[in-house]
Amino acid sequence: MDVKFNNRDPVYVQVIRQFKEQIATGYFEPGQEIPSRRELANQLKINPNTAQRAYKEMEEQGLIFTEGKLPSRITKDEQVLKMVREELILEAVDTFVHSVRSINVPVQEALNLVKNKYDREMN
Amino acid sequence: MKRYLKLVNFEFNRFFKLYIVLIGITILSQIIGVIVESRAYLNRANELIYKELMLKSEFIEQYGTMSFATISRSLWFLGPIVVCGVTLLIYVFFIWYRDWLGKNTFGYRLLMLPTARMNVYVAKATTILLYVLGLVALQLLLLPVESQVLQWMVPSEFRTDLSVNEITNFNDLAILFPNTLIEFVLYYGAGMAAVFIIFTAILFERSFRIKGIIYGFLYCVVSLLLFFAPLFINEFILGNYFYLIEMFFIELLAGILVLSCAIWTGNFLIKNKIRV
Amino acid sequence: MIEIKNVTKKFGRKKVLKDVSFTAKKGEITCLIGINGVGKTTIMKAIMALTPINSGEILIDGEKIHKGSYEKITFIPDTITMLPQMQIRDAFVFMADFYDCWNQGRATELLQFFKLKETDRISELSKGNTAKVNLILGLAMDVDYVLMDEPFSGIDIFSREQIADVFTSHLIEDRGVIITTHEINDIEHLIDKVVLLDNGVVLKEFDAEEVREKEGKSVIDVMREVYKA
Repeated sequence: MDVKFNNRDPVYVQVIRQFKEQIATGYFEPGQEIPSRRELANQLKINPNTAQRAYKEMEEQGLIFTEGKLPSRITKDEQVLKMVREELILEAVDTFVHSVRSINVPVQEALNLVKNKYDREMN
Repeated sequence: MKRYLKLVNFEFNRFFKLYIVLIGITILSQIIGVIVESRAYLNRANELIYKELMLKSEFIEQYGTMSFATISRSLWFLGPIVVCGVTLLIYVFFIWYRDWLGKNTFGYRLLMLPTARMNVYVAKATTILLYVLGLVALQLLLLPVESQVLQWMVPSEFRTDLSVNEITNFNDLAILFPNTLIEFVLYYGAGMAAVFIIFTAILFERSFRIKGIIYGFLYCVVSLLLFFAPLFINEFILGNYFYLIEMFFIELLAGILVLSCAIWTGNFLIKNKIRV
Repeated sequence: MIEIKNVTKKFGRKKVLKDVSFTAKKGEITCLIGINGVGKTTIMKAIMALTPINSGEILIDGEKIHKGSYEKITFIPDTITMLPQMQIRDAFVFMADFYDCWNQGRATELLQFFKLKETDRISELSKGNTAKVNLILGLAMDVDYVLMDEPFSGIDIFSREQIADVFTSHLIEDRGVIITTHEINDIEHLIDKVVLLDNGVVLKEFDAEEVREKEGKSVIDVMREVYKA
C-alpha cells in the first residue's frame, strides 16, 4: 500500500477511505486478515494512534471484525460490502454531478460523454 | 554507591593515557637524572684527582660526597614532579570543562544519569585524589630504585647513602611525604579541601557563566578567609591567646567547616543551578 | 503525563520562556513547533533539569524530576552525548553500566536497522549517522518518555526517512514523545499534538486530527493563521 495523504482531511478518515476502495475493488476479500494497527502505521507512515482510531471506526461501521485476540478481518457481511461499493459509487457520482452542473451541462450530453469516455477507457 | 564506583572507574580511565605518560616521564627523567648527575660528579672527581692530582680526601672535603641530596635538588628530579603537579592542577579544571566545551556534550549525559549528581562531583574529586596518591606512591617506589642506581654509578668512598626516610625529609619533598599521620591528614586534607573549593568555584561558573566567575572568585576568597580567620584573630586580636595544640584543633575545625561548605554548595549548584 | 505549568525562565534580563504551560501524554507524539530561538530547546532542558527555571513547575507523572526519573524519561539532544573517542559498542557498555532501563537487544536491533557497525568510532561518523547513534542511545532505553530536539535538522534525506520510520514503529509505540522542529513537513502525519511557540510564549496547543476533522485545516494552515495574527 502506498498512499499519499492530504494534510487537511483527518488522516484516519483517509485511511478508512483507502480501505473502502480496496474492499470495493476486491483487493481485500471478505474475511481476509488485515494488518495489525502497528503494521498498518508502519506501512502508511502514520501515527499508531491514528491507525488505531481508523480501526476502531471501521469496527463500529462493521467494515472489519475482531474475534478475541485474533487479527482483525474484513467483514463477510454481504450487506455491508454492498453498501461500501454503493457508497463509493454514489460519492463519485455526486462529485461528478456537482462539477458538471456547475458548468450547466444538460444531463443527456453529460451521459453521452460519460458513455463514450468509459467505453474508450475500457478498450 | 555502585554507580559512584563506576563513575570513579570511568573518570579514572579517561585520563589514564596521559597519566601513563606522566609516569613514564617521571621514571625516565629521574633515572636519567641519577645517571647524569653521578657522571658529572665522577667526571669532576676524575678531572681533579687524575689530572690535577688532588687527593681523594681533599676532593671529598672540598666537594662533598655524592648523595641523593644532590640529585633531589636537580631539575631532572624535581622537573617531572613539577610537571605532574602542574598537569594535575590543570586537570582539576579540565576534568569539568572537557564535558562542557566543544561539540561533544558529555555533560548532558553525566547530569542525566540515574544517580545523585553529587556522585559526579565526588567521583571527579576522588579521581584527582587517586591520581595524586598514585604519583606519590610511584615516587616512594622510585626512590629505592634510584638509590640503587646511584650505588651502581658511584663508588662507595665517594658516596653517602641515605635511606628513603631521610630523602623524604628534605625540605623540598617533606610536604609530599609527611612523616606523621597527623601531617599526612593535614597536608592532604588541605589539598583535597582546595580541590573541592576549586570544583565548587567551577560549578559557580558553569551555573551562572560570566557572573559565575565573579561568584566563584568571591567564594574562593571567603573560603580562604574563613580558613585563616582563626590564625588572624589569634595573632592580631587575641595576642596569641591559644596554645599551638589548641590552634591546631581550631584550624582543623575551620578546615572541616570550609570543606563542608564547599561540598554543600557544590551539591546545591550541581543539583539545582547548573546549566548545560 | 508531562505537565509544564506556568514556566518562566530568564537569561539575564531576557525572558526566554514566559508563562509556558502545556502537557504531553504518554502514548502520544507532541510536537513543539517554532522558528529557531523561541525556547524549544530550553523547554526540553528545563524538563530534564539541565537548566534551572525561574518560576513555575514541571511534573513527570505527577512528580518533580529526581534521580530516579532518568530511568523513566530521556532526552536526545541535537548533539551526541557520548565521548567522541568511543566506539559505538563502548557507548553501549557505558549505557548498560549506568542505566537499569538499557535494553541491549533493542540497541542491537536499531544498529542493524540503521546499518551501523558496533566498531564505528563516534568521532568518525557522518552527521546523519551521529544523529542515528544519538537516537539509538535514547530509544534503546525502556523509558516512558522520550524528548527529541530537532531530530531531522541538518540531516540528509535518506537518514530523515529512516528516522521518520522509527516513529511509526514499535520503538515509539506507547511512549510519550516530545519532539521539537522548525519544519513540520516530514512528520505532519505522525504527530498527535502540536504546541506552537513564539518568543517564549505558547501561542496554541491543539490536536492535529481534531483540527483536520472539525476545521478541515492542516497543521500548516493553523500555523499560518496563528503566526500571521
